[in-house]
Amino acid sequence: MELSGWEAAAALAKAITYAATLGAAGAIFFLNYNEALQAAQRRRIHRGLALLLIAAGLASAAKVLLLAGSMSDDFAGMFDSSFIGMILRAGEGRAAGIRLVGLIVCSTVLFSKRRVAAVGALLAAGSFAAVGHVHALEPNGLATLFLLLHLWCGAFWLGALWPLLQVARDGDGAQTAAVAARFGNIAMYLVAALIAAGALLLYRVLGSVSEIWNGAYGRMLSLKLLLVVALLSAAALNKLRLTPRLAAGDAAAGVCLRRSIRTEMILGSMILLATAALTTFAGPSD
Amino acid sequence: MRKMTLLGVSLCGLIISGQCLAHAHLQSSTPANNAQLTESPKTLRLNFSEAAQLAVLKLVSGGKEIPVPLDKAAKPGQTYTLTLPALAPGAYTVQWTAVAADDGHVTKGTFKFSIAP
Repeated sequence: MELSGWEAAAALAKAITYAATLGAAGAIFFLNYNEALQAAQRRRIHRGLALLLIAAGLASAAKVLLLAGSMSDDFAGMFDSSFIGMILRAGEGRAAGIRLVGLIVCSTVLFSKRRVAAVGALLAAGSFAAVGHVHALEPNGLATLFLLLHLWCGAFWLGALWPLLQVARDGDGAQTAAVAARFGNIAMYLVAALIAAGALLLYRVLGSVSEIWNGAYGRMLSLKLLLVVALLSAAALNKLRLTPRLAAGDAAAGVCLRRSIRTEMILGSMILLATAALTTFAGPSD
Repeated sequence: MRKMTLLGVSLCGLIISGQCLAHAHLQSSTPANNAQLTESPKTLRLNFSEAAQLAVLKLVSGGKEIPVPLDKAAKPGQTYTLTLPALAPGAYTVQWTAVAADDGHVTKGTFKFSIAP
């Protein structure tokens, strides 16, 4: 496995695309199950959402251009229409098209169309299933369903963290505890589905458990799994310890909860970066 | 309960039937890597592990690139056969870049061959 600066840049653009798209989708889900937020909190989340939607669109385009540049290892390659055409025809065009439509529909949340925006969030987050290793499987219908479920649950979890932090920053302990409890109660089931879908998908893609320990793909995958375990631990701390303490009126728990959410956000970003590396630098048999 | 068991078994069957997959790698070439030829080959043949679009092919000898016609609009395939110009005796390096048709991943590689004087 050889790495070039172009491939590293493309992987970084992919990670930003994941973070911005899933971050926007998760925030839209968050607004749908937290309808009683204060107007100021909603405005701040809308501002963040607008930035994420723009970042998702720009990073998607940058990823295609950087992949084209990686083909010839020069700047001219970035704007070579035949290279760009090859990447778009190989599935990236389909995925980017679905994502773009999804992001446009997501933007209706800014005009208080939360239910419509949720459909856009499903489309945008699910767009990553339209390209990648799963498409090389025969048959790939069930694997694509697992991937969609994995992506939607991942968006729900990771994308809820930044709006949850916005709410926690306001310092209203009772409201933060209520919002965190609502998130935690739904997340409990969706995180279980996320892990089950991820495990089934991995087994389908790898073909055997021993592949996890073999080769570059297996090593990167092991790193991602370790980060997931760390993220799960932080999430369990939030749900089982900090949220009940905050609900009981312990003000110090609010500070701990904000710190814990930030830790989750960092771990989530690292997982997305590892996923981007996993889907750019290596294939399951590498 | 029986329906659930049947569904579970069917799902397991579909999952277990999974196969390993990778990006498009060069499985073989003609001339082969490190081949020592006695005369100029008429064609260059590349055989990939899966359907791919050959995006770049450079044939280099003594620091100079020898133009090889490549149809970038061709449909993705597992095998590419390219017509070569008459090559002088010397050492040659082939650099290729391909895009996997199924998953859009970019792979690259090089191989060498030589033609004896």
